Amino acid sequence: MLNNRQLILGHFWLAFALFTVALVLGAWQMWVRSPLLPWVSDPELYYRAVTAHGTVMAYVLPTLVAMGFGYAISQAALQQSLIGVRWAWLGLILVAVGSVMAVIPVALGRASVLYTFYPPLVGSAFYYIGVVLAVVGSWIWVALLSVNLYAWKREHPGAPVPFAMFAIVAGAYLWAWTSVGAALELLFQIIPAAVGLTSTIDAGLSRVYFSWTLHAIVYFWLIPTYIAFYTIFPRAIGGKLYSDTMGRIAFILFLVVAMPIGIHHTFADPQIGAGFKFIHSAFTALVSLPTLLTVFTICASAEIAGRLHGGRGPFGWIAALPWGNPIMLATALSFVMLGFGGAGGLINMSYQLNTSIHNTQWITGHFHLIFGGAIVIMYFAIAYDLWPHLTGRALPREGLMRLQLWLWTVGMIITTFPWHYVGILGMPRRMAYYDYSNPLLAAQAPWVDISTVGALIILISGLLFIFILVEGHRGSAIDVSKYQFSTAVHPPVALPGALNGLGLWVALMIGLTVTNYGFPIVELLARTGVAVPAVYVGSQP
Amino acid sequence: MSQQQHTSDHGGQGSNVAKRAEQRWAFVAVLMLILFVGLAAGAGIHYMVMPQARVETTDPRTVAITGEFVESNLGSVAEPDGSVTVRALGQRYSFTPSCIVVPAQTPVRLRATSADVIHGILIEGTNVNTMLIPGYVSSITMQFRESGEHLMPCQEFCSVGHEGMWGKVRVIDKAAFTAAAAKAKRVTCAEQ
Amino acid sequence: MNDEHISSEPTASQELVWRLSSIGITGLLVILTAAVGLILLPLLQRDVTYSSLWDAICSAAGVRQLSADEPAIAPAFKTSQAVLTSDMFRNPGAQSIGRGATLGQRCAICHGPSGVSRADSPNLAGQYAAVIYKELLDFRSGARVNSVMSPFAEGLSDQDIADLAAYYAYLPRLPGFHPPTQTSIPRIVINGAPMRGIASCGSCHGGLDNKLGSPWLEQQPEPYIQSQLQAFASRERHNDIGQQMRNIARQMTPEEMADAARYYASQPFSSSTQ
Repeated sequence: MLNNRQLILGHFWLAFALFTVALVLGAWQMWVRSPLLPWVSDPELYYRAVTAHGTVMAYVLPTLVAMGFGYAISQAALQQSLIGVRWAWLGLILVAVGSVMAVIPVALGRASVLYTFYPPLVGSAFYYIGVVLAVVGSWIWVALLSVNLYAWKREHPGAPVPFAMFAIVAGAYLWAWTSVGAALELLFQIIPAAVGLTSTIDAGLSRVYFSWTLHAIVYFWLIPTYIAFYTIFPRAIGGKLYSDTMGRIAFILFLVVAMPIGIHHTFADPQIGAGFKFIHSAFTALVSLPTLLTVFTICASAEIAGRLHGGRGPFGWIAALPWGNPIMLATALSFVMLGFGGAGGLINMSYQLNTSIHNTQWITGHFHLIFGGAIVIMYFAIAYDLWPHLTGRALPREGLMRLQLWLWTVGMIITTFPWHYVGILGMPRRMAYYDYSNPLLAAQAPWVDISTVGALIILISGLLFIFILVEGHRGSAIDVSKYQFSTAVHPPVALPGALNGLGLWVALMIGLTVTNYGFPIVELLARTGVAVPAVYVGSQP
Repeated sequence: MSQQQHTSDHGGQGSNVAKRAEQRWAFVAVLMLILFVGLAAGAGIHYMVMPQARVETTDPRTVAITGEFVESNLGSVAEPDGSVTVRALGQRYSFTPSCIVVPAQTPVRLRATSADVIHGILIEGTNVNTMLIPGYVSSITMQFRESGEHLMPCQEFCSVGHEGMWGKVRVIDKAAFTAAAAKAKRVTCAEQ
Repeated sequence: MNDEHISSEPTASQELVWRLSSIGITGLLVILTAAVGLILLPLLQRDVTYSSLWDAICSAAGVRQLSADEPAIAPAFKTSQAVLTSDMFRNPGAQSIGRGATLGQRCAICHGPSGVSRADSPNLAGQYAAVIYKELLDFRSGARVNSVMSPFAEGLSDQDIADLAAYYAYLPRLPGFHPPTQTSIPRIVINGAPMRGIASCGSCHGGLDNKLGSPWLEQQPEPYIQSQLQAFASRERHNDIGQQMRNIARQMTPEEMADAARYYASQPFSSSTQ
């Protein structure tokens, strides 16, 4: 069994408890703005729910999953006890306190500004301070992973860093750097306005700061999923990882290129030059490379396992794979959703195609499919894989887990595919109700109904997930073997420094941030007279 | 499985095959990316769909009461070169003019900004789509092929009345627009 | 990125190759994309002319430019010139409120000794300071015209207006009176009419949120609300900045105006006992 079980379980349970609340809110939102119900009498309730749902799902759930998983990796991959356990607990407490502090004003209707903040709209200062606290808690995690890796490297000079640790530390550094953007926006623009120190905000600059965070954060969310692809999936299905080197290269590419591409979220903004929009668009194309490499490597690893199970012929190995294994199923379903979601992302990446669907429901469909679908389903897989090692007990039977995963996938597809379509029809985002009786909007109504059915299926799957984890605490005690990651077909014996350390890549990440963001930010900072009066919603300073 | 026997075989047959397959795939992947970026840039140049060329600023405090976006200057105006300029203002929770009228088959430039918070303009049924950021002027060019009516919602959350913020765009034929432009300095269909 | 032979101890030159090629490729990509984005694409723009290559590069980089100074058509009538920001009204101070109370004695004839009117003039008690401020400014400047109010506003100084705003905002506000026994809330009030570009009244007028400058409407006299909506619809009243109320009133039916006025005017006791 793993050490520090309470610590890791604490992270996961906080994450999944808040996730459940946010899931219920999400289902309610789908239902209430669909043709199935009359218009909500208080639209502020809807926006309140959207703010809470987004804040939890974007800032709390994935951060806690990465943190808990990261501590587990640090112990299991490095095979050394976790250094800094008290600091780790402090980090978790900060995230918990921050989340509560953020969610309470939202629940009271004092911060219905959405998780993307959108200054000059300004809500209760406690909301933003809560978010900052949660982020600071995660920075403690970044520091601890770094410390643990450094200690291990000192004990094992020249030895290849275990792949899982290499990957999660890359993710941690990516997160630390990308969170700086939102931190700048919060600390220097929004919180001063929220507490009344300033009364104006440059809305254009704040969007650029936020875009700094907004894209790379999704790669921070994605990294635990991809680590599961590389280090859990091959082992779980009785195979080997096709290539350790290509895996490291994929994570290195994420570390370097995930950051300096955020302006593709502001293609339609008037405060940024067209040249930088193109530069970010081109680099965004580059960030699909590590995913393409990963798809190859993981499929090849699956093929190894399939043939080890006796599969023959060009496709016979697929049938030979252990489909009864929940990890096998989760990975395959994740790849299906990744394919569609990734294709949608390629559409969003070019200014030309983006103009058709910017800020329509296509965008909402896209990120629910790729994040809620492809990424979160692997969070479930990670939980299922780790749970016996955290509880010392057996999980309920695999059929139940497979059902939960199928329901999640089917529900997500039923929800998001029509969402993409109504986005193409031009349905705008984030409205509490729509007049489906208007002939120009009537075509959207049936698809919104279908999406709502999907939301119900997703909700059932989420509740089933919690049920399974709870049962995992009450199952029969079992003897768990040591927690293992997958081994590569050619395990590295000695690696060049570039593949065994992150210094060069962090330097490139920062360098690209300077080239891609430096001038736009400096130009916006240098402008005077463009700051807008803050608009206080729900709460005056 | 022959791959496993060669784990310690430096430069063995198996690892070479594996490496070559990977390299081939990486090469294909990079080609795909170059193709995507090239397509996007090419389409942008060919169809002249590019982000706005200049960054322009306004004074957000007075933008609605004086200057280019004062209420009497909003609406559509025929330019001497045959194109049309439309000026619009977004505010919580309506667009002014609430109904924009433009001629078909004519280059149209939309200039718009926000009087307060972040709004967006989306003309449904088209790819006209831009943000309105207070303090900055958005400028996009478009051309409508046919007459008709389009809904124009605000596509960005602008606080609690966002769901009520829908404008209209009416595309009429060139002759009708010219007649209207002769009668009024700024043409809108807001009164109808 | 080459898949190096990882099985032998990496040499110093291999390390160098990794460093140089990664930095080199990154640098090359930066230069290439910058050249295309900042030089090539702007020059291919057909619908804009640049004065020079440097102008093209600066525009593409996002250097701020002031828009060409084209003459704007001025309104045919006076429009509101009020600039409102929330920090203007935050802490007026007791002295300002006291001065406002003194000035307010003149207003009592129509607006009531405690800011609650006995006639059809609007109640001022508890009205948002920004609203009192703006309307007095507009009466004074002529953006809003009323045969009774315009003379009163003429003699007010900026400080007087700020004081009056502080005083009336300080008085207790009349709450909304909508018991469950009342007929259901009119749709136009609670949901607006999205397809006609009308948000729910409460989004600006305080039920859900207060947009700075939008008046609190609860328990205002029904004839007053009705007449103002009609005035906006007919363009007779035009001090709403950016036509925001004219946009709404123009799209309301007479029944909707009557329903909204009746809803907001609802009081705990009938007007005959006033």
